[in-house]
Amino acid sequence: MTTVVVGSNLLGDLLSGPRPAEWASLREAAELRLAGRELPTTSDEDWKYTDLKALAGIAFGPAPRATVDISGYLLPEMVGTRQVFVNGRHAPHASCASAVPAGVRFFPMSAASEACHSLGTVGNGAAKSLFEDLNTARFEDGAVILVPKNLKVALPLHLLFITEAEAPAAVFPRVLVVLERGAELELVEEHHGTGTYLSCPMVEIRVAEGALLRHERVQREGPESFHLGTLKAEVAKGGQYHSRTLSFGARLSRQQPWVRLAEGAAATLDGLALLDGHQVADTHSFLHHAEPHATSHQLHKCIVDGQARAIFNGQIRVAPGAQGTDAKQQSRNLLLSGSARVDTKPQLEIYADDVKCSHGATVGQLDPDELFYLQSRGLNADDARNLLTYGFAADVFTRIPVASLRRVLRHLVMARTQATSLGDLS
Amino acid sequence: MLSIKNLTASVNGTPVLKGIDLEIKAGEIHAIMGPNGSGKSTLGKVLVGHPAYEVTGGEVLYEGRNLFEMEADARARAGIFMGFQHPIEVPGVSNAAFLRLAYNKKAEAEGREELDPLEFDDFIHEKIKLVAMKEEFLDRSLNEGFSGGEKKRNEILQMAVLEPRLAILDELDSGLDIDALRVLGDAVNQLQRPDRALLIITHFPRILETIQPQFVHVLSGGRILKSAGKELALELEERGYDWVLEEAAAGGLR
Repeated sequence: MTTVVVGSNLLGDLLSGPRPAEWASLREAAELRLAGRELPTTSDEDWKYTDLKALAGIAFGPAPRATVDISGYLLPEMVGTRQVFVNGRHAPHASCASAVPAGVRFFPMSAASEACHSLGTVGNGAAKSLFEDLNTARFEDGAVILVPKNLKVALPLHLLFITEAEAPAAVFPRVLVVLERGAELELVEEHHGTGTYLSCPMVEIRVAEGALLRHERVQREGPESFHLGTLKAEVAKGGQYHSRTLSFGARLSRQQPWVRLAEGAAATLDGLALLDGHQVADTHSFLHHAEPHATSHQLHKCIVDGQARAIFNGQIRVAPGAQGTDAKQQSRNLLLSGSARVDTKPQLEIYADDVKCSHGATVGQLDPDELFYLQSRGLNADDARNLLTYGFAADVFTRIPVASLRRVLRHLVMARTQATSLGDLS
Repeated sequence: MLSIKNLTASVNGTPVLKGIDLEIKAGEIHAIMGPNGSGKSTLGKVLVGHPAYEVTGGEVLYEGRNLFEMEADARARAGIFMGFQHPIEVPGVSNAAFLRLAYNKKAEAEGREELDPLEFDDFIHEKIKLVAMKEEFLDRSLNEGFSGGEKKRNEILQMAVLEPRLAILDELDSGLDIDALRVLGDAVNQLQRPDRALLIITHFPRILETIQPQFVHVLSGGRILKSAGKELALELEERGYDWVLEEAAAGGLR
């Protein structure tokens, strides 16, 4: 292991930890790009509403080895198709891949580096973000998923990242997903934790021609944590990438999905953030319609209570020549308190003329007509409000194919929207 | 059951109902007919407590109670139901869960046993047969993406689940084809009992062939211009509304 010191700033401190020996050239390149840089501030347009000052003054050390009881996180459909990572490292005893179908490779990065030749190559045409580079420089382990040609994986796969930090720690989960031609997969990625920590996950996805990936992402980090995630997905001709990102936890979180669509590809990039207290949740997405006839749908919803704050910046770029593009973006936000705040901004850059692009944003309270409709069926005003708030959120996850995950989310959201007294809402 | 006396109401300060008198007794079926914009739907919405309408005068007694002292949800639990012309879509809440919740809230208010999801499942499967609804509509979000006809079917399903004492059905036939109208009309007839009453609000007389009223009222300009037996509906079908309006004008009513 070598140690690199990059100045006396927070970023430098994060980089000053131990550097794993594998993927040396990848890491060196990332470190070179990071040299001399500092964390963004609110004077940086991209970080105008998301202040990372809260990170300053916290000395994030390397996360120690730990074992955790994962029984509360297991989902029955994926008991035999799970890889668990604790404090950034693979937890072999908590993992179980016995039900993974033959042909599918699903293993920790530490176990088989030779299979990861495409690591760090997704989205090579795009600039690398600071947090992506930070992850590359420091990740200790992660998951690799390879699905061969035309294999439609019947069981969903489960990725669990759990951080238990007794002292402030930084973790850098890494994921590489490669679907070959015509392959199909459902992937569930979850992040949980306790204590004060910083998690900087980086997910790379390659969906080959005609392949289909469904990706459910659940962020339930601990209330004192920071989650700064990057995702890059390249979807080849006629491929499909459908994702939902559900953000519940963390004191401050940011999701930066970047998706490139080739000809005739399709993507869904739905999101939900359910916030209260002083939470901040930021989504900066980038959908790149690089070639003709690709379709994208994006529904981003935020429910903001207390003094919490949600930020959405949805960038869609339609490249020159990407005719027949069909892009639809909706940002819908529900404010439950007078001190809650939402900043939402669509950002469309269209360089082709024969395209269909729509976007819309709403920020407000519940619809009085919907409230009245429920009251006219005998629900009192509080029940009607809670049911509508629940429904506003549930709209994003009711179509998740994994029933047990749906159930977990339902209970979680019911509790957060005071809808528990309404009984079973399945 | 329902006694309306000199009811006036306005929306955004504009008077819409200008003095309505109407008596509905248990076991009766009444039809309110009239041209578009006459105030028919307003009457229904005022009775169920829609917040967009302000009651400016008059009195309504429902089973002896002052209706306007009851919140919309209390009116519903007391047995008043309105099938809306344009039912609202509620994403994220499954139809079945909503119906079970509404059923149980009413059962709770009446001191009856609430149904758990399994019991309700049996109960609702009987009810969907009555309105010929496909089972998949139970799992879908409440009214979300339903066609106009499917929404109306769902309104009558809600009526069948809640078994109201006074049901107000607003333009049930809009968006329905002939077959669906017959199915839903028959369902409404089956739900009618001697201790229940129906108020059918409609522009077209067509629906009154299936759900036959004993009383037909023509409402226009916020007033009831004419009340008669069901033969009035046939006359309106043949002659339209103008003659009633003219007759009323000649009689100095307007």
